[in-house]
Amino acid sequence: MKQRVSPPRAFLRGIPITVWMLVLVIGPLALTFLMSFYSTDGMQIISTLTLKNYALFFTDPLYVSVLAKSMIVALIIAVLSILTAYPLAYLVSFRLRRGKQLLFMLSIIPLWVSYLVRIIAWRTILGNKGVINSALLAIGAIREPLTFLLYNRFAIAITLTYICIPFVFIPVYTALEKIPRNILEASSDLGAGELRTFFTVVFPLSLPGLVTGFIFAFIIALGDYIIPIQLGGTQGIMFGNLIWNQFGFAFNWPLGAALGFILFGISVVVLTATSRFGTTEGGFLSE
Amino acid sequence: MGLKIYGALIFLFLYFPLAIVLIFSFSPTKTLVGMQGITLKWYEELFRDRGLLTAFLHTVLIGLGAVTIAIVLGVSGAFFVTRVHFPGKGVFRTLVLLPYILPGIIMGISLLIFIRNFGIKLSWFTVLLGHVSFTVPIVMFQIMSRIARMGPNYQSAAMDLGANPAQTFLYVTLPMIRTAIIGAALLAFTVSFDEIVISFFLTGSAWMTLPVYIYGMLRFGLSPKVYAISTIILGLSLILIIFMARYTGRSADVYRAGKKEAGEAA
Repeated sequence: MKQRVSPPRAFLRGIPITVWMLVLVIGPLALTFLMSFYSTDGMQIISTLTLKNYALFFTDPLYVSVLAKSMIVALIIAVLSILTAYPLAYLVSFRLRRGKQLLFMLSIIPLWVSYLVRIIAWRTILGNKGVINSALLAIGAIREPLTFLLYNRFAIAITLTYICIPFVFIPVYTALEKIPRNILEASSDLGAGELRTFFTVVFPLSLPGLVTGFIFAFIIALGDYIIPIQLGGTQGIMFGNLIWNQFGFAFNWPLGAALGFILFGISVVVLTATSRFGTTEGGFLSE
Repeated sequence: MGLKIYGALIFLFLYFPLAIVLIFSFSPTKTLVGMQGITLKWYEELFRDRGLLTAFLHTVLIGLGAVTIAIVLGVSGAFFVTRVHFPGKGVFRTLVLLPYILPGIIMGISLLIFIRNFGIKLSWFTVLLGHVSFTVPIVMFQIMSRIARMGPNYQSAAMDLGANPAQTFLYVTLPMIRTAIIGAALLAFTVSFDEIVISFFLTGSAWMTLPVYIYGMLRFGLSPKVYAISTIILGLSLILIIFMARYTGRSADVYRAGKKEAGEAA
């Protein structure tokens, strides 16, 4: 269909959403971008434009190394989420006849269960006096509580993987459900076994959903700052914490804005680079 | 077979942590090993915690307020994007989605910087603004997919039969998107009820939402009270999810059709 422009009157109903967008999306992001070129003097924000904050990011090894480590952790989390969510989606979509709807619901319910409650749960499980340690102590498998469970990147990775699983499950499941079942029959009629059918037919067709899930998991993991505070301890500082600190006790909003914009840039690059392969369908907002 | 076992293990991984929270909330002692009997005393303590009850009320009010505003903006926005043609629509859609797909910390700091730039003090109002930012894309995209499945013919037919735009909306469009609105509202409320990443930046020290209040409780370690309120939150989200499942997605169409038949039979 040829792109046409509607008559001016039709644009009236676009006013509320446009005002919202200017006030709550474009305005704040633009001001943050502007502030990333400001600097501070004690508690005072100085509004002369400077590249100081970005220069600091590239010269101080702390920032680059934390960002690099965070990206690696986010990548690991995205991979772990796929390794759990993909087989689950495949199982529910292809292997079940009865109870499919129920298991689908059970797979996505954790998505809507309070983020904070899930953090509390994992602190309870991994803590020094937590579930794993008390169980292992009780059966005599260990004498001292295992300390590597909590307050490091391992704890962050487990908890964030837990958070990300439904975000990967939904787009993968949607992609799998769309695969016409008769092409599986065709594949099997032509003599391919289940494994071969999976790798040559199912997997390639599910890639858009997989990519979407991957991006979501990566961005969620990279941007989180509450889980690192709650479960990461001093060893597990992530890029989100560096941003958060500038708005907390470090009180350097311009630097925080610059770091925030670097994260924004990474998110935009990841989203656009992969949106060509991914799909917006099976996102969480389309029904 | 192997796949089924793997699947069962994943379900165990998904639900074990939630079960732990539930069990601990009824435990008289702090440890699971050697748990003796069950108690409701942590729940009783919750009801004596004034700060917590106030925070709970705040969260509900913010959720209701944000969802109401998001429905007005989201529904009008959804019709705008699906029915009005203009260049740059793809960019417009992406911009609407930003508050939902960007890491929460970016929206949090941006809104904080924006709000402080205008000298506005942190209060319930700033928290509300924050919640309106991410509930709008939730509502709008839910409604958009319903409109896309509905097609434009019904409205054209109503107009041909002499209905004015207001009548068309009230008698034709609104009944058709009603379940989508309810579903979107429940979804947006669930997300708002739980939100902490953005709220954290926009909450002052005096006016707190429930997640921010619980976060404060965590500074003193994991108390049985934390498990009790967590369990209540789990229960509430489960109720919301069950209602949501009824009203969103394709199942909503089936449900609606079923109801209609029941209505006709009556």
